[in-house]
Amino acid sequence: MKYAYYPGCASSGTAKECEESIQAVMRSLGAELTELEDWNCCGAAIATGVSYLLSLALPARNLALAERAESDLVTGCSRCYMNLIRAVHYTQQNASVRQKVNELLAEAGVQYSGKARLRHLLDVIINDVGLDVIAERVTRPLEGLRVAPYYGCCQGMWTYAQFDSVEEPHCFDQLLATLGAEVVDYPLKTACCGGTLSMSKRTVGAGLISDLLAAAGDADCIVTACPLCMFNLNSFQNEAGRIKGTHYNIPVLFLTQIMGIALGLPEKALGLQRNAVPVGGLYKKIAVGTAVPSGEASASGPR
Amino acid sequence: MTALEKPWAPHTLERIPSLTDLVGNDFSLCYQCGLCTGSCRTAYAMKYTPRQVMNLLQLGRRDEAVASGSGLLCTACYSCTFRCPRGVAVTDLMAAIQRLTLAENHADPHIRRFYQAFMRTVERHGRFHEVEFLARYYAPNPLRLRGQFRVGLTLLRKGKVTLRPPKVKSQKDIAAMFRKAAQIEGRP
Repeated sequence: MKYAYYPGCASSGTAKECEESIQAVMRSLGAELTELEDWNCCGAAIATGVSYLLSLALPARNLALAERAESDLVTGCSRCYMNLIRAVHYTQQNASVRQKVNELLAEAGVQYSGKARLRHLLDVIINDVGLDVIAERVTRPLEGLRVAPYYGCCQGMWTYAQFDSVEEPHCFDQLLATLGAEVVDYPLKTACCGGTLSMSKRTVGAGLISDLLAAAGDADCIVTACPLCMFNLNSFQNEAGRIKGTHYNIPVLFLTQIMGIALGLPEKALGLQRNAVPVGGLYKKIAVGTAVPSGEASASGPR
Repeated sequence: MTALEKPWAPHTLERIPSLTDLVGNDFSLCYQCGLCTGSCRTAYAMKYTPRQVMNLLQLGRRDEAVASGSGLLCTACYSCTFRCPRGVAVTDLMAAIQRLTLAENHADPHIRRFYQAFMRTVERHGRFHEVEFLARYYAPNPLRLRGQFRVGLTLLRKGKVTLRPPKVKSQKDIAAMFRKAAQIEGRP
């Protein structure tokens, strides 16, 4: 399994732990991710507010680079994925968009024809690696751990439209169950985290984050599939708590971090020390969780 | 008074290039069911909800939609677009409104700077760089940085931000794309 890999800006900075855990987990699962050479920012949620053409051409340049490298392009960031797939769709749908985007790309010495195939990391993990393979590799089942999957908004929708239900995705639940975790269902699991509003309009942004954290409330941790959600849900828990007059302290992990824990990879390789909300307590909960059934086993003899 | 309660403005149906964009996102298809607003997490904070914005556009009252700044609250989550039974690209229309709000100086200067700082950083380096972005964003009123202090400190402590900007070899190519886009779109 070989892919060209697009980290995105968040994974290389504010959410570095995502990048570290993606590399560690994918390597251990036998998938080879080669960083797309000379990739650029996809424009995040900002480019659309300034330039329609740049909001398509910035991601399209990365697709063009993948096309030149003749590989499938994989990204672990839902926002990047959304921007990239939007560029794929819009350039395919409309010849005049395609022509204008290529006019911009010509300035960068590349062209995009629509050949490069785009994949989300979650898609690769579930459909290429496979849940059966992951189940075999689990050395530390997450028994006793209550995990709330956060699918993310419809940036997710673009994602899940490719391989899961748009309105009721369940792939993440299956993955977490495979790791032995108890999956917590909650109503806001596909609601938007506010994206850049946490920076540009704090009162609104923190409110959205607060609702999410409250909805997932009794879970031991939240797991996301997007480095931007990861940054938002981790870094603004104080501000979010203040809005509701409460205090949040719920660990938020990236999907490959929780996988890495279950696969028995070292904490450092997963960047767990970088999480804004400390995650150390989770290990104790897993230990307690697994100790109970084994204790029962020894009390009632070997099964 | 909501958009619908106001007396109808003279019907000006000229197609605004920046609104209809290049993709077929035609707001005239909207039949005002409100699924977009129901799907929107930030509609509660908007002066005009997405449905009302679509209505204003249909009535030729785009200036009101633009001046309201409602577009700036769109997080581009695409829930509305995915759910719209009429296939209207609501998110792209909200983005177009957002562009006009920023370009026509209706936005709070602080928010405008947020967009400018981000784009300028990407134009210069090809990628986002937290430190340069924050420096540009907060340069005119550094006291506002207090609000980001705790988050910034955590990022530094956890080794997630570097002072040195990222290096992209083709940074000049990216800058050329920015120039070309401005030229085609007729922006300064």
